[in-house]
Amino acid sequence: MAFIEVKNLRKVYKLGNEKVYALRKIDLEIEKGEICCILGTSGSGKSTLLNMLAGLEKPTRGDIIINGTNISKLSEKKLARFRQENTGFIFQSYNLINQYNALENVGMPLMFKGVPPSKRDRQAEKMLKLVGLESRKKHRPNQMSGGQQQRVGIARAFVAKPNVVFADEPTGNLDTKTTDDVMRLMVRMCRKYGITLILVTHDLEIADYADRIVHITDGEVTGIEDHVSSYDPEKDNEAGASEKNAETERSAEKNDPGQTEKK
Amino acid sequence: MKIYDMLIMCLRNLWRRKGRTLLTVIGVVIGSCAVIVMISLGLGMSQAMDNMMETWGDLTAVTIYNGGGGGMYYADGGMSTQSSDKDKPKLNDEALAMLSSIDHVSYIIPKMEVPAEMVTVVSGKNDRYKLTWANIVGVDLLILDKMKYTAEQGEMPTAKNKDSALVFGSEIAYQFMDTKKHGSAAFTYKQQLPDGSWSKPFIETVGGTIKIAINNSKKQNEDGSYQYGGKGYEYKFTGTTVLQQDPLWETPNSLLIDIEAAKKIISDYNRLNNVKNAGNPEYSQVKLSVDSINNVEAVHKAVEELGFNAVSMAKERNEMQGQLGVIQMVLGGLAAISLLVAAISITNTMIMSIYERTKEIGIMKVLGCFIGNIRIIFLMEAGLIGLLGGIIGTIISFIISAVMNSLGSSGLSDMFGIYTEGGGQVSIIPVWLVLLALVFSTVIGLISGFYPANRAVRISALEAIRNE
Ligand SMILES: Nc1ncnc2c1ncn2[C@@H]1O[C@H](COP(=O)(O)OP(=O)(O)OP(=O)(O)O)[C@@H](O)[C@H]1O
Ligand SMILES: [Mg+2]
Repeated sequence: MAFIEVKNLRKVYKLGNEKVYALRKIDLEIEKGEICCILGTSGSGKSTLLNMLAGLEKPTRGDIIINGTNISKLSEKKLARFRQENTGFIFQSYNLINQYNALENVGMPLMFKGVPPSKRDRQAEKMLKLVGLESRKKHRPNQMSGGQQQRVGIARAFVAKPNVVFADEPTGNLDTKTTDDVMRLMVRMCRKYGITLILVTHDLEIADYADRIVHITDGEVTGIEDHVSSYDPEKDNEAGASEKNAETERSAEKNDPGQTEKK
Repeated sequence: MKIYDMLIMCLRNLWRRKGRTLLTVIGVVIGSCAVIVMISLGLGMSQAMDNMMETWGDLTAVTIYNGGGGGMYYADGGMSTQSSDKDKPKLNDEALAMLSSIDHVSYIIPKMEVPAEMVTVVSGKNDRYKLTWANIVGVDLLILDKMKYTAEQGEMPTAKNKDSALVFGSEIAYQFMDTKKHGSAAFTYKQQLPDGSWSKPFIETVGGTIKIAINNSKKQNEDGSYQYGGKGYEYKFTGTTVLQQDPLWETPNSLLIDIEAAKKIISDYNRLNNVKNAGNPEYSQVKLSVDSINNVEAVHKAVEELGFNAVSMAKERNEMQGQLGVIQMVLGGLAAISLLVAAISITNTMIMSIYERTKEIGIMKVLGCFIGNIRIIFLMEAGLIGLLGGIIGTIISFIISAVMNSLGSSGLSDMFGIYTEGGGQVSIIPVWLVLLALVFSTVIGLISGFYPANRAVRISALEAIRNE
């Protein structure tokens, strides 16, 4: 049995008398540790599918079974527990909480799990180091660039070592260079911890990072292709993941006159 | 999610919106202040009332008078209580046992009056000075302190000397007349001399010897007084103490001797005069001291159920407390309105706060925060506003209370028709009132936060995180 199974999934929105068929009939299987890209044009139903996979929305019909649990049948309370234990989420618009600094934002999923502060901070710090933002841990989201914010978002999604991470156009607001950095970072994290990543995008270049690409058109799967990514973290020319990012961070900070912490 | 994490989150949220939090807290401060001050005024009034009633009589005492009246005896060759009702229980030792076993009675003070006709009281050489009206009361001399009597001269009697001890009321020494003189020269009066000291009576009080002689009812002198019983029917007492005048005016005109001595005098009189069927001696008065002012009514009832006529302040106090209760309720009601307004403003603040934090709540839900935790966070926030308001309100109430007390009783208490004796407090804030205020304001906060918290819980995670 596959790690994630989607069977006969449908979603219909009713707007007055009009019915919007966001998802018509989706069947899908995703293996553990796989990086799966859901690719489609705007309005094709990608986000709807992802939200249902993440348990944020109820399907009109059909089942979603993740790790043996049929999440479409779970109560709101059990869904929250399921999300806490199994999933991470990366948003297009980062969705960090502005009143908390980077460290606190990253530690948040751990806080919901009841991890005590000292342990939480240690893990969050390690995560921030991995995404190369160690020196920014006391900064608030509005004091960081989009790329930096998204890396905090990635650290937050991975900090609790979930089984699966969902990302809805995580690079939608970033430039090409940063997009590549962020994508590589996500891939490395998934490989490192054996985490399944489900990624929504309309960008073919991003789909290149995936092991499998699911094409969606008008709420229907129109093709599933296995794919070999041209990016292999093992062969990354830079010495190591965290070091590489730390370097990007440093070069970024050279252009930042407000930065004084760094020697 | 750990409790302290939720608490920290609340505090940060409150701190983030300092201004608004402050305004809301001020609402609660005013409300709780109003409640505390109003209740403290009510307590002050009832305290003032008790102080006032204390000058009318001991509030914790239930007093039983023999025969229901003044406890008078009529001696016409014999002795009989005036009791017209044969069913009435006798106020004797048996009765004492029953009375002292009533719940909440901490101790009882029986008194036995020696009827004035039974004895003649004299002092000085050749019995020169004679007491005009022999008001002798037998009482346990060792508990005079407990009865709140204080010595003006001499010492209170002790177990050693009580059998022959005699305690003077503040006025009685002046009621000895000089049998050798006539007219006004035969009498003394208690009056203050120009140098501030009191005038002296004829007799020596502390250290003096007083003779109590039992009258022979069959043999009268020419002046109508009875002759003494003679040898074996005379007792010598030594004056030990002169009491200060007690506020209830119970003792000034009495000579106090030990109750056993009084009993003996009465039985000797009965023997000398061949009184038959005297039975057990009866007490003229029994005072029950009740452990708490709130139990006086119950004890009073219990005493009446035993068939005795009792006097206590319970009824008067209840009536006055009842009137006070009405005033207090009106005051409390007014205060409660301001607390209601505070509650509404807490709700309003919380709704606004949730409005602003919709997205944050959504993110928290997506990241796996339990809805229960979200509810607790918002309830806590509202509760904290209440508690904070309660704490500040309590502090301010103490200040207001202190100011009112230092301004004195003239203003407010007169306004409500309660007269306070000097030293009375206008406003009293006991510990329970502080605790009550804190709990109450917190509960008000929690109740006000209930609806907003439910709203926060119902926010759809998806709607909240959708890109605007
Ligand atoms: N809450 C909703 N109510 C009604 N219709 C909706 C709702 N959410 C989505 N839809 C409809 O469902 C379809 C799929 O929407 P969805 O957001 O999944 O598209 P998408 O593939 O994510 O597009 P994009 O790339 O622009 O984000 C659209 O036609 C949209 O109008
Ligand atoms: Mg979308």
